[in-house]
Amino acid sequence: MSLLERLKRLLGRVRRWKEAGGGSEMISCEQALSAVYEYLDGELEAGPREQVKAHFDVCARCYPHLRLEESFRTALRGASGSVQSPPGLRERVMDLIARSEDG
Amino acid sequence: MIAASRSNAPSSFEEEALPHLEAVYRFALRLSGTPDQAEDLVQDTFLRAYRSWGQYTPGTRAKSWLFTICRNVFLRQRERGRRHDEIVQRHAAARGGVVDLVNPLWRSLDGVDPEGAFFRSILDDEVLRAIDRLPEDYRTAVVLSDVEGLTYIEIAEMTGVPVGTVKSRLFRGRRQLQRVLYDYAVEAGVLPVASGTRDEEGHVAP
Repeated sequence: MSLLERLKRLLGRVRRWKEAGGGSEMISCEQALSAVYEYLDGELEAGPREQVKAHFDVCARCYPHLRLEESFRTALRGASGSVQSPPGLRERVMDLIARSEDG
Repeated sequence: MIAASRSNAPSSFEEEALPHLEAVYRFALRLSGTPDQAEDLVQDTFLRAYRSWGQYTPGTRAKSWLFTICRNVFLRQRERGRRHDEIVQRHAAARGGVVDLVNPLWRSLDGVDPEGAFFRSILDDEVLRAIDRLPEDYRTAVVLSDVEGLTYIEIAEMTGVPVGTVKSRLFRGRRQLQRVLYDYAVEAGVLPVASGTRDEEGHVAP
């Protein structure tokens, strides 16, 4: 086999590997799911964050898990947002501090 | 007005600490459980913060510094009237053993409500009551992360534990809370009763 033929075959293999998704670094469902909280909490570096996002974007099985966690967090935030401090608390705190200065 | 006797401290205290009053109150209410106790806790927190304002490093997050003081005050107060049920509950949770990557809730929700829309149908008061039922360390982690948006490192520093512990408290706390809210939704008739068995933590038995 000539060198040129060998080179052609090698290039063909590289092309097929690329077409099969090699090198695109798609992570597994397991990897994506195990990182779901770190992803939502903004704790991932740019690289891993993109990989996790890419997985959830295309994986029909994992996507609902992400949505479930988001719905959960929305509920927690919404419920806590309904809490308001009693009227006059700020004034009472200021007053307490002022009195502690006098004493 | 606050006397200006401590160099520049009072004005920067007003500018940097007082804007977090609402957030500290929210946190204090989740820690203590009642508005009266929460108000006492907030007053105590801000008084202590004011007195030790000299130890605060400007430019760092005043919010997480105030949360730290608030939690320390709360924990000290609680020493006297320690709640036994929390301890028991935590130990039960720690024995949970193998945890599932796939949220166990999802098995019950598959085909019914896979994206957990039911969470948003639960009344605010029910959600808050469910948060209050978590053991204190899980509750603190969940509130600070999910509600107040603190980072894992900030929570770790606040609570004096490694980041890995913060992660596991968040994981377990969230799953416990989700389970409680799910059960509530089933009881309220929002979700159908699921078939299949699971332990009380919602985890698959090891």
